[in-house]
Amino acid sequence: MKVIGVYMDRCLGCKTCELYCGAERGSEGKTLLAAVQETPVPRPRVRVEGGPGGAFPLQCRHCLQAPCLDACLTGALHRDEKSGMVIIQEERCIGCWTCTAFCPYGVIYPSCERKIAVKCDRCLYMEKPVCVDVCPTQALEVMELDEIEELLGEKRQNTTKALAGVGREGIRILDIGR
Amino acid sequence: MTCIIVGGGRAGFQAAMTCRMLRPDQAVTLIDAEKETGYYRTLLPQFMVGALPEERLFFPTGNNDPLLTVRTGVRVKTVDCDSRSLTLEGGETLGYDRLILAHGGDPYLPGILAGPPCHGIFPIRDLTNARRAKAWLTDHRQVVVLGGSLVGVKTAVHLRQAGLAVALVVRRGHILLRALSPESTEVIEAHLRGLGIEICVNAPLEEISASGGAIDALKVGGRWLSCNTLLVATGTAPDTSFLEGTGLLTDGKLIVSPGLQTSDPRIFAAGDVAVISSRGEKISPNTWPQAVSQGRLAAENLYRAVPTPHRDMTRINAMDLHGLAMVILGPPVSGAEVISHARADAFVRRELFLVAGRAVGGALIGDITAAGTIHALINSQRQLTAREAGLIRPRTENVIRFPEQTGRRAALILSPKRSSL
Ligand SMILES: Cc1cc2nc3c(=O)[nH]c(=O)nc-3n(C[C@H](O)[C@H](O)[C@H](O)COP(=O)(O)OP(=O)(O)OC[C@H]3O[C@@H](n4cnc5c(N)ncnc54)[C@H](O)[C@@H]3O)c2cc1C
Ligand code: SF4
Ligand code: SF4
Repeated sequence: MKVIGVYMDRCLGCKTCELYCGAERGSEGKTLLAAVQETPVPRPRVRVEGGPGGAFPLQCRHCLQAPCLDACLTGALHRDEKSGMVIIQEERCIGCWTCTAFCPYGVIYPSCERKIAVKCDRCLYMEKPVCVDVCPTQALEVMELDEIEELLGEKRQNTTKALAGVGREGIRILDIGR
Repeated sequence: MTCIIVGGGRAGFQAAMTCRMLRPDQAVTLIDAEKETGYYRTLLPQFMVGALPEERLFFPTGNNDPLLTVRTGVRVKTVDCDSRSLTLEGGETLGYDRLILAHGGDPYLPGILAGPPCHGIFPIRDLTNARRAKAWLTDHRQVVVLGGSLVGVKTAVHLRQAGLAVALVVRRGHILLRALSPESTEVIEAHLRGLGIEICVNAPLEEISASGGAIDALKVGGRWLSCNTLLVATGTAPDTSFLEGTGLLTDGKLIVSPGLQTSDPRIFAAGDVAVISSRGEKISPNTWPQAVSQGRLAAENLYRAVPTPHRDMTRINAMDLHGLAMVILGPPVSGAEVISHARADAFVRRELFLVAGRAVGGALIGDITAAGTIHALINSQRQLTAREAGLIRPRTENVIRFPEQTGRRAALILSPKRSSL
């Protein structure tokens, strides 16, 4: 399965991804100028959290055991067999907000004006996700989940090596991510 | 090697699907008392008022599965744990290797309604009654909804939205008595009144008046309300009578371990019928998401030497009351510390109940941002940091902060495997 990965050291917290996601995926006009004039105000499906030095663009993780999927009262949320992603069928959504209360990352949003929940679908029907496309520092990248496993494996190996290197004396804090 | 599931509601269906997926060689039989199964009970209010076509009520169905037998319109009458068999209405006996009890709750009807049959009275629980109510409501548009539970409130709002005259009658206290604090209820009640719903509190049902065999008025709390339809949402109680003598019941309740196992290791329970005994508490969330997650877990645990405990014991319930969003995070707890943020003018109230620094419940009304994050914090059962407690303020005033990450090179991926915060 493909996911959107984030290079933490490259994210400036500039919110360009938010802006363009809102315009491209949430607005009728599809341009920033048109989007800012629309009511309801277009809603992005990515949210930049944190501040300078520690910003992070958050969007749906398409969890393999997705709490939102279990919670949906109407069957509007379902898993797309092919891509493995959690997708919302807007015409079935009644805007009950149950899913929003079950996503631990808070990335499925109530669109109160449209009475439906909105979430990231990794721009499934587009060539590339908008956020990935517009990020000025290329902090976002579409990655295969397996690649990430590899990356994590590499990190674990480095950790082991480094630990062996210090001869078990004292404690060393390593950059092993969260 | 047959697995039998009693009850074809959300929990039973989920259990059946999970069993078939995990053990493709094992046959599964699902037995349900209703003529039709596999529908979204939660959508019955919308269906009753004509806001949702009937076909939308049913779960999307997959391919025909020869090893899944669904028997509808038949009730399980007895269970015999020793011979591992059960009997159906009509006398047929079926043997099982594992059994999942997922027969939900039956609507509880106040005794006074057991009198002579009277047209225009319907419980809100099943499709058969919802169809009858729908037909009746087309020319009987003065409705009393009895019961201030979530189902009652939700139904009242949908009826009102569809233009019917609605009174919501509550026996004692306030609406949503067991779910919300009085302060939160005030916000909801004000909103419902604004929608044009008449709310009668501390009004027990005393008398029913009928003419021509149909209801025409109700006496509640000493006062007559005229109406031509009565919808009853006074709660549900599981029918466990067919389990008497099996040793599975404690004080008439089907108590299960956190792994959803009953006192018979071959029998599990899931959904509204299950009362989970965990850390000295008896928990029965009675919600749709719980029916799904419990149905799945019961099926997963059937053959495990040590059943995996259920991770989420919360009774989160969300709904949109015609423009007012509401998430119930857990009922008020006496003696709990309350932290809140309120803006009465904007119908906003956000509150959390804390016991020894841990969040145990609360409600978000009018502004439901961070609901999922707060839910995860309640589940974590740990003491909240000041920043986490700050989530009770609305979105504009809080952000999730990430620690400084200078020099970090590698990609940080929040694992999509199992979300945990
Ligand atoms: C109108 C309405 C609105 C609701 N809205 C919400 C909401 O917004 N959010 C939320 O979280 N929850 C909501 N709920 C609650 C939610 O629907 C239930 O918690 C959930 O359906 C429980 O699922 P279950 O499978 O445990 O039981 P049920 O859905 O009750 O299914 C049990 C099945 O077992 C069958 N059965 C019973 N006894 C026997 C027997 N002896 N033999 C064979 N079959 C038997 C019954 O016929 C029934 O079909 C609502 C409920 C109603 C009625
Ligand atoms: S919306 Fe949240 S819970 Fe649902 S798949 Fe995405 S990250 Fe997971
Ligand atoms: S808001 Fe829509 S997608 Fe979310 S639980 Fe309700 S019906 Fe499902």
